Amino acid sequence: MTTPTARPASQSELIWRRFRKHTVAMVCLGILIAIYVASMLAPWIAPYPRDAISLGNAYTTPFQHAADGSYHFFGTDHLGRDLFTRLIYAARVSLTTALTVVTASTIIGVIIGLVAGYFGGWIDNLVTRFIEFISTFPTFTLLLIASAIVIQSSEAIPIPAIFSYFIGAIMAISDREANQVILIITIFIILGWTGVARFVRGMVLSIREQQYIESSRALGASHLYNMLTHVLPNALPPIIISYTLGLSGTLVAESGLSFLGFGIQDPTPSWGNMLSFANSYMFSYPWMPLVPALPILVCSLAINYIGDGLRDALDPRVQTEIRRGQRDAQLAAIRERSKPQS
Amino acid sequence: MATFLTRRIIQMFVVLIASALVSFGLLYIAPGGPLSGLHQAQNSGRNKISNEDILRIKERFELDLYLPYRFSRWLIGFPSGPITIAGQSFLGNTMAGCAIPGQARLRYPDGHTEIIEDGCQKPVTFADLSGRRTSRGILFGDFGLSQVILRDRPIATLIASRLPYTLQLMGISSLIALLIGVPLGVYSAVRQYSRFDYTMTTISFVGSSIPTFVIGIICILIFAIAAKEAGLPYLPPGNAVANSDYAVPFIGNVVAESSLDRFLHFVMPCSVLVFVNIAGYSRFIRSGMLEVLRLDYVRTARAKGLQERTVVLKHALRNAMLPFITIMAGVLAELFGGAAITESIFNWPGLGRLLVDSIGRNDYSVAMALTMVSIFLLLIGYLITDILYSILDPRIRLS
Repeated sequence: MTTPTARPASQSELIWRRFRKHTVAMVCLGILIAIYVASMLAPWIAPYPRDAISLGNAYTTPFQHAADGSYHFFGTDHLGRDLFTRLIYAARVSLTTALTVVTASTIIGVIIGLVAGYFGGWIDNLVTRFIEFISTFPTFTLLLIASAIVIQSSEAIPIPAIFSYFIGAIMAISDREANQVILIITIFIILGWTGVARFVRGMVLSIREQQYIESSRALGASHLYNMLTHVLPNALPPIIISYTLGLSGTLVAESGLSFLGFGIQDPTPSWGNMLSFANSYMFSYPWMPLVPALPILVCSLAINYIGDGLRDALDPRVQTEIRRGQRDAQLAAIRERSKPQS
Repeated sequence: MATFLTRRIIQMFVVLIASALVSFGLLYIAPGGPLSGLHQAQNSGRNKISNEDILRIKERFELDLYLPYRFSRWLIGFPSGPITIAGQSFLGNTMAGCAIPGQARLRYPDGHTEIIEDGCQKPVTFADLSGRRTSRGILFGDFGLSQVILRDRPIATLIASRLPYTLQLMGISSLIALLIGVPLGVYSAVRQYSRFDYTMTTISFVGSSIPTFVIGIICILIFAIAAKEAGLPYLPPGNAVANSDYAVPFIGNVVAESSLDRFLHFVMPCSVLVFVNIAGYSRFIRSGMLEVLRLDYVRTARAKGLQERTVVLKHALRNAMLPFITIMAGVLAELFGGAAITESIFNWPGLGRLLVDSIGRNDYSVAMALTMVSIFLLLIGYLITDILYSILDPRIRLS
């Protein structure tokens, strides 16, 4: 006779089970993973070399044969470069940029917010004042100015070779292109961690007062142990949600920046700068902007749906204190987003 | 309240100075400048530029002054010459900068020599400054001159010529978005899980996920390009007014710069902003309302036998609007700052596009002025929000 295993489901299993019920989010997760995996396999999938220019084939309409008889799935751009190829490579650049930026700024923000909220006192005061000061700046304006400056003098700013090698390898771009991308990433991180730090601090402030923290202290646990095993896991759900929101926010902001010509520069492909080129030819070739606009649209929608699914999966927590923290976090996120970015 | 206000205003002032320092510093390290191409031109032999020319250019852009003096002249218009007290002038010989740096020959023990800058051959003193054009300082509303976009014209004129367009676009679109978005959000929350609610949340979810530049481009593709091809009434894809008359099917001939022409140009950028803002506002109001409608006092109000209308609009909405005020802080800055991306797509001659242009064309004094203005407005916005918050929510005390 077999007895069913009575092991209770772990927290993460419960969350995963709830997340799976959210069909749209699951589909979106699949799409996103498929796009990213395809972009990682770009050298094998892409039909043409990334920067192969053939002026005779310029402006080939999608699903048509070019002047020399070659077939271009999504057509070609003003230099005759295959748009499908560039799109896949751009996915690699745009998505990796967003992932790197959000991961790094979340880690920095969580550490600073955790320390400030847990210890309070002068550390907290210093951090809060600093964050308040940074958040008085109009973020998008600063982003524009900083990247314009950095792009023009990218040769002059020293970047550790290991970074450019690493990023260059992930994004399949040359070291020189990687340097520019790293600078853009750095600017995004510098401007991006404050939002995370602010709401993590708020959450930690309320969690710290809970009794289990006190009893853990009474049992002799160190501050570090407390922070990592009690405070951080309890603050995790909104951090995960803000991570996904940040992902789509950064993707859109990077595309917007590149669209205006201040972000990632041609020949490094990014969906934003492809759209910017397509935009200048849209009156003669109206299909052209649709090609890079589609992945931006799909990815930003998909990430938001995943965030939505995660929110539903993580929500059934009833502790009001933490709820309030989440609400503050949402408020902070919306306040952040309400700044001129349109 | 009075102590709070004074403290906040002092705080604001400190933040403003600090941010002025940051934006000045940022643009100081920015590459490119009036002299960057000149050395090559001078060395190339053609179009020879004399040293006097370089001195003149340096003087014009204040490149011969020390950095702290440049900053204080930009910020408050000081120093503008020797300080005069009761007919006596002081500090006339104080050095404010150096036009031609001195040179010294450095001889190394191994025999080779090197020329280094040392001392000053031609100093600029306070007395020299009195003949120059001095701005009254950006803190007092004098933004200086534009260098590239409108050469030698005051930046204030440039901003004044663009401001009406931005105010028109942002003002009308925010107003329409508020008037539509708030009722939609309230209705959606009251009828939670109804078909209307599902449709609304889906639309606003999609609307707030799609970036404006994608919506804008798709709008141009549909309403300008495709509609024109199909012989339907179409909208002009860009600019605020047309250069010449044009004919639109069913509407007839449109005279350039007429009010119909202006309206047709205005529709698309405005609708894009309205759509995006409605999506954001209604989602925000909906979640706020849902939270408030669950609370005990709303149940009490219903139990008292009040009409549902009164409960929703008077009791619930007032409290649900509170967090909404926070996001209004950004709207003030947006109203005057413009929407950089939307304005760029539709070629709308507002302040947002001016910012993008000025950064792209290295007209740093314009970019600095615009940054300062938008920081100032954001600070004012935060102050107004905090005051409004304390008026509307007695639980919050200003301290």
